[in-house]
Amino acid sequence: MSHRLFKKILVANRGEIAVRVMNACKILDIPALAVYSTADKDAVHVHTANEAVEIGPPSPRESYLNIDRIIDVAVGNNCDAIHPGYGFLSENPLFPEACHKAGITFIGPPSDAMKLLGNKIQSRIKMSTAGVPIIPGMKTAGVDIEMFEKAAESAGYPILIKAAAGGGGKGMRVVQSKEELQSSVEAAMREAKNAFNDDTVYLEKYIENPRHIEFQVIADNHGNAIHLFERECSVQRRHQKIIEETPSTALTPALRAQMGSAAVRVATIAGYRNAGTVEFLLDKNGSFYFLEMNTRIQVEHPVTEMTTGADLVIEQIRIAANEKISDYLIKASQRGHAIECRIYAEDAENNFLPSSGEILYYEEPVGPGIRVDSGITKGSVIGVDYDPILAKLIVHAPTRDLAISKMICALKDYKILGIKTSRRFLIDALNHPEFKAGKTYTNFIEKNMADRALDIEPALELAAAVSSVAMMKKPQASGASSVKSKGISPWQTIGSWEIGMRIPK
Amino acid sequence: MINQFRYQDDLIETEINSGPGGIEVTVGDEQFRIQEILPGKYEAFHNGVKRTVCCVIKGAQAFVDIDGILLDLVIPSDDGGFTSGAGGHSGEKDKIYAPMPGKIVKLLVKEGDKVEQKQPMVIVEAMKMENQVNSPSAGVVKKINFKDGEQVGTEVAIIELEIEF
Repeated sequence: MSHRLFKKILVANRGEIAVRVMNACKILDIPALAVYSTADKDAVHVHTANEAVEIGPPSPRESYLNIDRIIDVAVGNNCDAIHPGYGFLSENPLFPEACHKAGITFIGPPSDAMKLLGNKIQSRIKMSTAGVPIIPGMKTAGVDIEMFEKAAESAGYPILIKAAAGGGGKGMRVVQSKEELQSSVEAAMREAKNAFNDDTVYLEKYIENPRHIEFQVIADNHGNAIHLFERECSVQRRHQKIIEETPSTALTPALRAQMGSAAVRVATIAGYRNAGTVEFLLDKNGSFYFLEMNTRIQVEHPVTEMTTGADLVIEQIRIAANEKISDYLIKASQRGHAIECRIYAEDAENNFLPSSGEILYYEEPVGPGIRVDSGITKGSVIGVDYDPILAKLIVHAPTRDLAISKMICALKDYKILGIKTSRRFLIDALNHPEFKAGKTYTNFIEKNMADRALDIEPALELAAAVSSVAMMKKPQASGASSVKSKGISPWQTIGSWEIGMRIPK
Repeated sequence: MINQFRYQDDLIETEINSGPGGIEVTVGDEQFRIQEILPGKYEAFHNGVKRTVCCVIKGAQAFVDIDGILLDLVIPSDDGGFTSGAGGHSGEKDKIYAPMPGKIVKLLVKEGDKVEQKQPMVIVEAMKMENQVNSPSAGVVKKINFKDGEQVGTEVAIIELEIEF
């Protein structure tokens, strides 16, 4: 590398995305500084960084959302750039402003573009005026319940309540009838207040069973803007994406080109810079509507990287350092098929309740075209202070069928013990005939997975058999004892053995 | 050597013997030959098929992963009884617990209310998500131990019910 793009980058995030950003820094030979809350003092991202500074107690408001503290740390430690990751401060326009005032480069869009796009209501109006299709609904924020009732009636139930500052499904509620409206608006406002510190919500027509398709866009400071094709993110639970893939089975080359150029137009109209994502809904008739633009690196960015060969985080850092969009990206095409599964700490067999605890065993799958972006390791303690996303598993294969098959193998080989994870649920979803047929609509999970029952009977005997062998190692230390443990240990009766050798029969 | 495990309502008994090819475990009518290949990682041969299984013992629990299926087996304690699984209060039909530590967002019932089985009782926020907790049984709300906005753990019941029979 001829010159360093930045002296030192502060990564204002935690978990897998902080680790991902730090790995990009390492490749660019830029030292990375981690910030962490007291709950994260032994977290993977802290150990991945070149330096780490504690910024406060576990509550995000006092640590990862504390702009003043983070800026102070950056200034005090000679950081000349900050990468916000996703979530936390990544879409808060005050953060790039604060960076600017402190003479620090914010690796992301300018705050004006963020302000416009971060307000879902304003951006709807602006894009609509520029000829980008939008979903019918409220064009101003809801003030009182009468206003919501009126708008809901004019759009027609079912309707969707959304947070103006929203993202990631927080503060979103589908409402089927007038009776549910008030309680849903209240719940959405509470969630929005907690997640974004802004309880503004609005309402739009709920498009039933659409596909959720987004386009990766990149714009530099020199007037260039491109898209890097789509990501199909229709498979969601409670508006949280769980499986993403690219290419989408729903797009023809013509539709792809049409949506791609609409995405670039959205970025251009908004004065966008750096990497961003334009989300669309695609209905049954092939009509698409602008939903919102996410002004950050997305959780699911790796599927784009796998198929286009891009390194989006490196590109973010380059563009923030005033470089032009890389030549290789301008020529990029889609190669093969990539799928990402999000690994959440939750119990799919028990209503997806969040799961917490210590990771007692951890092993990642390996092989060609298998990638794990993880923020955990053995010994990590998963608490309740933060989002339950632990890691992402991404596979790349020549065809969609092979990618599905590879993902199922990789999920089986991804071993995480001590907490509940959604791996088996993901395997069952990928194995579903409707998924294999590419019929991925936003109702996929409720339609196909609601009656899912995990048959554990065949596994139970095997589990007990292995557990009894595992217990032989430390029956007393574990506080448990076998019923008749006075006998001779099988290790004593096993006969002669050598490591790495089969005992001859 | 004989061991007992509990999984939900099932009780499973295993018997370990040494065999010619390693450790052999009998469960019911089934035979498994098992060897540890790495700490916590095992190969199990059953009817000529090899499966890779991960297993870690902690406290009174055996955590097991078989192809992404997670099974937490409970190991009997010395007095022959069982300790319940982490945060588990599955046997108690007259109490409503938080699924995990969090904050009570909204109580949906008050003392004296008649409730149906599966009726939403309380919303608890944990990990930034609102989780609705439903009633395990039909009955009458006898006692509510928390108020909206309070922090709650998993040890103390949020709501106690008088069950109708």
